[in-house]
Amino acid sequence: MHRADYVIKRIAFALITVFVAITINFILFRALPGSAVSNFSRAPHASPELRATLTHEFGLDQPLWKQYVLYLDQLIVHRNMGVSFADNQPVTTELAGKLKNTLGMVFVGTLFAIVIGIVTGFVSAWRRSGVVDHVSTNTAIVFYALPTQFIGMMLIFLFAKYLPTAGMRNEVNTFFSGGSTWSSIKDIGLHMMLPAITLALTLFGEYTLVVRSAMLETLGEDYVLTARAKGLPQRRIVVSHALRNAMLPIVTLVALSLGFIVAGAILVEIVFSWPGIGQAVYEAVATRDYPMLQGAFLVLTLSVVFFNFIADLLYFKLDPRITE
Amino acid sequence: MKTVEPAIAEGTALEARPSKGGSPVVQVLRERKSALLGLFIVGFFVLVAVIGPSLAPYSPNVPSGPVYAAPSAHHVLGTDGSGVDVLSEMMYGGRTSLIVGFAAALVAMIVGGGIGVLAGYSGGATDVGLMRMTDYFLVIPDLVLMIVIATVFGPSLSHVILVIGLLLWTTTARIVRSQVKSIRERVYVRRARSLGASHRRIVVQHILPQVAPLLIATTVLTIAYAIFDESALAFLGVGVPGISWGTMLEHAFERTAMTEGAWWAFVPPGLAIGLVVIGCYLMGQAIEDALNPRLRVAHLSIRTWRVRSPQTVTDELAKDEAG
Amino acid sequence: MSLLAVRDLHVWFDLPHGGRLHAVQGITFEVEVGERLGLVGESGCGKTTALLALMGLLPPSAEVEGEVLIDGIEILRGGEDAMRPHRWTDIAMVFQGAMNALNPVKTVGSQIVEPMEFHGTATGAAAKREAGDLLQLVGIPASAADRYPHEFSGGMRQRAAIAMALACEPKVLLADEPTTALDVMVQAQILQLLVSLTHDLGLAVMLVTHDLPLVTQVCERAVVMYAGRTAESAPVDTLFHDPRHPYTRLLFAATPDLTGDSEVVSIPGAPPRLDRPLVGCPFASRCDRTFDRCRVDTPELVMVAARHQAACHLNDAEHAHEMDAATGGGAS
Repeated sequence: MHRADYVIKRIAFALITVFVAITINFILFRALPGSAVSNFSRAPHASPELRATLTHEFGLDQPLWKQYVLYLDQLIVHRNMGVSFADNQPVTTELAGKLKNTLGMVFVGTLFAIVIGIVTGFVSAWRRSGVVDHVSTNTAIVFYALPTQFIGMMLIFLFAKYLPTAGMRNEVNTFFSGGSTWSSIKDIGLHMMLPAITLALTLFGEYTLVVRSAMLETLGEDYVLTARAKGLPQRRIVVSHALRNAMLPIVTLVALSLGFIVAGAILVEIVFSWPGIGQAVYEAVATRDYPMLQGAFLVLTLSVVFFNFIADLLYFKLDPRITE
Repeated sequence: MKTVEPAIAEGTALEARPSKGGSPVVQVLRERKSALLGLFIVGFFVLVAVIGPSLAPYSPNVPSGPVYAAPSAHHVLGTDGSGVDVLSEMMYGGRTSLIVGFAAALVAMIVGGGIGVLAGYSGGATDVGLMRMTDYFLVIPDLVLMIVIATVFGPSLSHVILVIGLLLWTTTARIVRSQVKSIRERVYVRRARSLGASHRRIVVQHILPQVAPLLIATTVLTIAYAIFDESALAFLGVGVPGISWGTMLEHAFERTAMTEGAWWAFVPPGLAIGLVVIGCYLMGQAIEDALNPRLRVAHLSIRTWRVRSPQTVTDELAKDEAG
Repeated sequence: MSLLAVRDLHVWFDLPHGGRLHAVQGITFEVEVGERLGLVGESGCGKTTALLALMGLLPPSAEVEGEVLIDGIEILRGGEDAMRPHRWTDIAMVFQGAMNALNPVKTVGSQIVEPMEFHGTATGAAAKREAGDLLQLVGIPASAADRYPHEFSGGMRQRAAIAMALACEPKVLLADEPTTALDVMVQAQILQLLVSLTHDLGLAVMLVTHDLPLVTQVCERAVVMYAGRTAESAPVDTLFHDPRHPYTRLLFAATPDLTGDSEVVSIPGAPPRLDRPLVGCPFASRCDRTFDRCRVDTPELVMVAARHQAACHLNDAEHAHEMDAATGGGAS
């Protein structure tokens, strides 16, 4: 009973946060002074018909609170986020495609980072205070500290001759939607390497430190001594007790950070011209494409909420102590 | 669960070094090598930021050499994509980056600290309300919000500082809040309350001094984030106007320094940011560790306890007899 | 032949800043089948260290010397690898604060079954049933095996820890402060449980505690440790009525009497540092009956009566009258 309550509470929290995010989004982009922002219909080169439609859909000639209601309506019911100033295309469809691209690259990069982080973190904790520990921890700190874009730029500097560093234009919108031949996959893969590696290098440091910390904490717990007292060999204790418990904070961290990585991938996408959400934000800023910017911001916020929620559920599943 | 550590601790209790006095922060800086290293690094860059510009060989805005000239006697760090001397840019830019970093962290410290104290001390509905608000703030991706606000309000030094500071306060608030909560329950605070001390007095005299070290540690770490964020904002074209390490990276990217082979245009600023971040991290982490000492004993390890071999006994007997 | 025999056990710890701590300095004792032996002393006297040494659970900074025999089989000399097969099957331990000794993400039952399956004493459904039986033995319903530790109360967890310790039918059970932080009623239950275990299963139980009334209630004999050494060893009644070491006498005197007759006497001073070699009697600085020899000669542990040993110069013939005078005034 308790545990079902918990899930419901987390769902409620997630939904409320979504709502708050949407509202903040609205306030930022519509209700604030700076008239260029608030007028959705001011798409340059838009035909009068388009303008009229937009004005009607978003109630741009009505009082603010009505606009808010219409905004919610359009967003939730019609999934309409307006039209991009850049090309008069619906924001929703464009963002959907770009989100897929971002997710693909982020997934690969994060996977690298997690693997490196877990391995190095574990080894560091196991050989605590040894040479391996110091080297590993300090390397983690160094990469954690270097600006993401700098790491990307260094990789370009070093590997431009060997791997593609740009050139994935919007064609990649068809990333996951079938019809890809082997060469197409290979092409995407090659283009993805440097950005994914950059992301991995930026991220792994934090994972190493957290895994190390979690393992050290776990290795010092009483139940590990008890397991040793039972005559169990070390390897078994590590796998069956220590790792199992250390997984808790690790999983939480990874799941939580996924939400922010999607946002942080912006820098990587810019450096490598990867056509994802981050790239979309960048271009929208440059061209003052406010509907696009607003849409991207909302999508990013929602993804953070989503991944946080997943993290909550995972933690809940792994830790039987959660009752509240 | 009692293990042997207390025995060891007690056995050496008389050897424990008494604190040399002074605030815990100063003590940590004195005793831990990592903190000293961090202080040294950050101190170095601060020094450069303060004195540098007056020693800069060239102007940071006006070209003084060919585009992407390699490091030489004339230009120690070469020139960038516009022909401007990189070393001079580094000095002036360092000033801006550090100002943004420190100022934003200060904003975060004040706001975060204030909210943390308020929430932790008041408890009840205020606490819950404030923490909910913090939760929502936490969810919003910092960078994107910064971009949006910078776009909407226009870029300027103060805007950037405010934006970064107003997004970094949440961590500080949480940490401060939990510390305030535990301090509030301590005996001497409750005693002061029962003696009728006003809230203001309690906060100022008892709570703030106790929270200060942790707040300082968190703020130092925030400086690192702030400098990082500044470079990210600059890279996205919404950073501070003028020269900063962040804008240097952005310029280098715009003018494809990487493919031109002009590493001197982006490596110095990138490394500088990295070093300052490392320095702040070392200091902040050392203070935090000192404040929350966690005697983490590992119950598993590669080596095991040893049995005294008869040979060792014989050796020691021989030593005793000889000496 | 006694079930558990410890001979001249020494434990040293390497200190982080150099030097060594001589935590256990040559203790010797035996425990018979079905006997309950108490090990008492102040914090830091080495009693927990001694227990951990018997189980081979010392950290890598430790070095040991001496003999530990269970049913005549020596288990200490071979180091960690030689000792591991004996853990839980021959000798098991219930830790102080055992409330935290259980892994929070596994069910209690699975943690009892774990050593059974590893050591091969039972597997599968049979193991589960035995785990349930053990829980019932300690007064917990067998169905609780599927629950998690946090669902148990402190006392129940302690009992579960005892059940877990019995999983592989050990010959010797070590209990380190098994009742600290538990309320009086629960304490009594657990002590009762320990007594019945020795009667019903023929276990030898070693009980480490600083709580003297507890020792007098539960144990038949006790070893009093001070500064890593044995100060005195005797049946509990004898320790109370006829102590032959000033520390024992003062220790019992320092315990508030339930009847309220005696004053609470605390022993001034602190135990000696164990990282330096000691000259003379370790208790000399706090003793109320010292004389010159005490500061120069380390007293040996000698038999002063049947099954009664003490390490104090006062037991030498020439000082017998002083010892009697002291004893006469101490106990009530």
